[in-house]
Amino acid sequence: MDEVDKILIHSLRQTGTDVGKDVQSVKHFTSELIVEAVVRCLRVIDPALGSGLCPSLPPGMSARFRVGMSLAQACQDLGYKGEIGYQTFLYSNEPEIRSLLMFLVEKLPRESAEASDQPAGKSALLQKSIAAQIKAQLALPWLSPSCRLPLLCKTQNPGPSHSFHSQTLSLPHCLKVPGKKQLKGKPQNTQDPHNLLSLDFLPPVTAQPSQHASVPASLLEQHAGELSAAQEWENEWNSQGLLSRLTPEEYRSRKRARLQKRIEEQLRTAAQTRPDTLGAHGSGSDLTELLQSFGGSPLIGDILAKGTRFTHTEKFTFTEEPEKAAKQMAAAANSLPSSHQSEEDLQARQQEELASLQQQLQQLSLSLEEVGGDMRQLTVSIHQVSDELKQKELSNTEEEDSVRVKKQTIYLLPDGENNLAKLQALVEGSAERVVNLAAQWEKHRAPLIDEHRRLKELCSNQEIESSRKLSEIKELHEKISQSAEEAKKKEGLYKQLITEFENLPKDISRSAYTARILEIVGNIRKQKEEITKILSDTKELQKEINSLTGKLDRTFAVTDELVFKDAKKDESVRKSYKYLAALHENCTQLIQTIEDTGTIMREIRDLEEQIDTENGKKTVSNLEKILEDYKAIRQENSALAAKIREA
Amino acid sequence: MAAPETQLMLSVGLIEKDVNADTLWVWCYPSVSAELREVLLSKCCLRQDSRGLHTFVFGQFRRTWYYISTVEVQEPTALKKVQFVTHFSIVVTTKDFNPEKYAAFSRVLCRMYIKHGSPVKMMEGYIAVLTKGVCQSDENGSFLIKDYDVRKAYLAGSVKDVVSQFGMETIILYTALMLKKRIVVHHPQVEALLEFTRALPALTWHRKDWSILHPYVHLTDSELENLRTCTGYVAGFVDPEVSNRSDLFDVYVNLPDSEITISQSAKEAMSMGKLHKDIGLVIVQSAENADRTDGQIIKDISIKTREILANLASLAEECENSKITLETLKQRHFPPATENFLFHLAAAEQLLKI
Repeated sequence: MDEVDKILIHSLRQTGTDVGKDVQSVKHFTSELIVEAVVRCLRVIDPALGSGLCPSLPPGMSARFRVGMSLAQACQDLGYKGEIGYQTFLYSNEPEIRSLLMFLVEKLPRESAEASDQPAGKSALLQKSIAAQIKAQLALPWLSPSCRLPLLCKTQNPGPSHSFHSQTLSLPHCLKVPGKKQLKGKPQNTQDPHNLLSLDFLPPVTAQPSQHASVPASLLEQHAGELSAAQEWENEWNSQGLLSRLTPEEYRSRKRARLQKRIEEQLRTAAQTRPDTLGAHGSGSDLTELLQSFGGSPLIGDILAKGTRFTHTEKFTFTEEPEKAAKQMAAAANSLPSSHQSEEDLQARQQEELASLQQQLQQLSLSLEEVGGDMRQLTVSIHQVSDELKQKELSNTEEEDSVRVKKQTIYLLPDGENNLAKLQALVEGSAERVVNLAAQWEKHRAPLIDEHRRLKELCSNQEIESSRKLSEIKELHEKISQSAEEAKKKEGLYKQLITEFENLPKDISRSAYTARILEIVGNIRKQKEEITKILSDTKELQKEINSLTGKLDRTFAVTDELVFKDAKKDESVRKSYKYLAALHENCTQLIQTIEDTGTIMREIRDLEEQIDTENGKKTVSNLEKILEDYKAIRQENSALAAKIREA
Repeated sequence: MAAPETQLMLSVGLIEKDVNADTLWVWCYPSVSAELREVLLSKCCLRQDSRGLHTFVFGQFRRTWYYISTVEVQEPTALKKVQFVTHFSIVVTTKDFNPEKYAAFSRVLCRMYIKHGSPVKMMEGYIAVLTKGVCQSDENGSFLIKDYDVRKAYLAGSVKDVVSQFGMETIILYTALMLKKRIVVHHPQVEALLEFTRALPALTWHRKDWSILHPYVHLTDSELENLRTCTGYVAGFVDPEVSNRSDLFDVYVNLPDSEITISQSAKEAMSMGKLHKDIGLVIVQSAENADRTDGQIIKDISIKTREILANLASLAEECENSKITLETLKQRHFPPATENFLFHLAAAEQLLKI
């Protein structure tokens, strides 16, 4: 009970109740203290409920009565199941008060819940402090610049805000990979693999941007870029790179080659879509010209069909012609006399020029047609000639073959029959030999092929194995990263909790409480066991009693009958029968008496308990108080009645 | 004697696919160059296990004809000696075009291989055909070369089907073939491709030149290189990507959609006029006539062709060196399309003055 009281008093002190230092247990609570404690608890639990109540007990009896009633009502509203009324507060007794206070203290909201709910990490703490700072600054009223204190100047001045303007920074890449000399925008120094030299020539990053204000922006951007690149590479490597089972460098080079191929294909399709007719304009032709100017790679050369070499040259010649014509026209325009001459002369001259230009145009178109015709002719003849050439070559080879065969036959012709027979025999012999050789080769080949297949199977099995291992590795990676994250989180949490713990007041020792609670739990468990044992013992006894009683009855009944049967005949048997009956009755009485004794003892115990509880209720003192208060109320009533009568 | 014909066969090869889905070139006689081997492995349908099995496929590469028969191995055979094999293909390379003959021959060889489980027996059959022109087959009788005449192979393609699918547009194919242009045919299934393309060279029967036929081509560098060396060809592709390669064709035939397109560069040379209309009508009418067989249709077409060629030849006689020039054509005042056609035809028939 002491511990419970101590906890109660501590919680009440936390709610704001002024419990004196000497008050150690609920037994010593006065009515005033009780009322104050209850009201303060109510205020904490439910401000709406508790605001209408006053913590101190008014002197007047009726007022006190009213206060008691309202407190009782409030507690019942909260959900207190026990019997409660004004008497609980004014004429209190220990057990009731204790249970009420315990109920209220349990209802108190857990203040520490918020802090332990979100164990925040370092970044969350930082954010919280930033938020707190900003809130504080926002809470300050804005003052005009002239009235500002120097401290406010810093925060309320628009000066510190700059737009986000970043510049690219140069960093020596060899920070990670020694030996790489990738210095952007710096002249190539000596082939120095060590980065010390380059660090000397490269200004620090804080000095690199042109404006000092863009330093944080540039740093943030640089870092974000590097971080995202690293993350992307991580993701790609973990998803595709590991699957391809290549080293990172090989993977990168393959990726580069693949991308280059795609670019080539795109260029090829773009170049092809240009129509290769005469006078084609458009971006396609520019593209092919551009590509050709790069050095005429064989890919591009293949794209252009055979005949378009002519279209190309023709286009070039034709682009010259319009230029010439334009030049001529410009010259003609310049030669126009600017002096004032008669209108007719002017017109005549213009007509002449028109006629000459038209002539030129006709000539040009004629030559165009001619060249077109020539080109067609040439193309067609090329086809014909190449066709002829091919055919001639083929017939050549065929003729050569047949000449060879004929030569041999002529050589053998003189002795025709014999040679024919010999040839046939030869052919058959070689056929047999070849078949023999094939059979021998087969003997060698079959096991080799089998071996090849077996090794292939082994290989594929190994591949399956390795892919399985790869997936395991991936899982392990994931687990590792997860555990690392968790460990980080837990460490942060641990640090935070340690700081919180150090900041907590050390007035109550939780460990003592927890030890005591565990002890109590153990005790209760033991008691429960004992109770169960006792119960089972009792049951056993009861069973025994029942069985014995039954046996007794049965035995008596049997004996009774037996003896009674014989009793009619024999005198001694009759006597023994009487004795038997008397014995039975006496024993029954005895048993009854024992049972009654037991019952009465139980009643005595119960009554003693009741006496104890009644004694604790301080009923006598409460009764005296009630009588006094009743007298006081009566007096007040009469005083009020007198006042009313006077008024 | 079977002598001149037997020299047409070049080699025989065996490709196997095993339980690890690994395709290997396992055996050949006498020898096959590495490049041709690569091509054959790509043609043999064992490499692409998503598609179905094509029992018989043929094609041409560098004037070598190849015929591939593929068989799936059923369980209880002597082939269990070669226990890992699930499918195999037999490749016969030759110099001549005769799909029926070599289909039958490769079937015989397949059955031999299944029965004996060793290529040695196959080789015996091959050598028998090579030397004697006859091969004993386990089933119905023997395989004789002389049963398979080359003319029959030429006529096996159905011109009637071609005309029934394209109608009047067949004249485009006829013109393209006459002028030795490049025709590309596309169909997602190999068998339909082979069926269709083998009938096309029959439209120019007077040349009897089936070396322009490349019925099964993939878009690989070596094969395209090979195509580029030919002036005019009929090439069949399974890959729909070929429609984007306008550098490969003058006429593009989309077989499933029954569409014929002429590429820009060839439009000028392939302009058609009254003469073509006449020929087209002849072709269509002949094909629609249910009584006429394929052979007769081809004959009708060749009669018309010969008329035109006779005309051209007579023109050539009148010129010096028996070579035609554009001027001589212009003198005849033909309509421009006909003149154009005759001009290009003269070049194709090597009657043009250079």
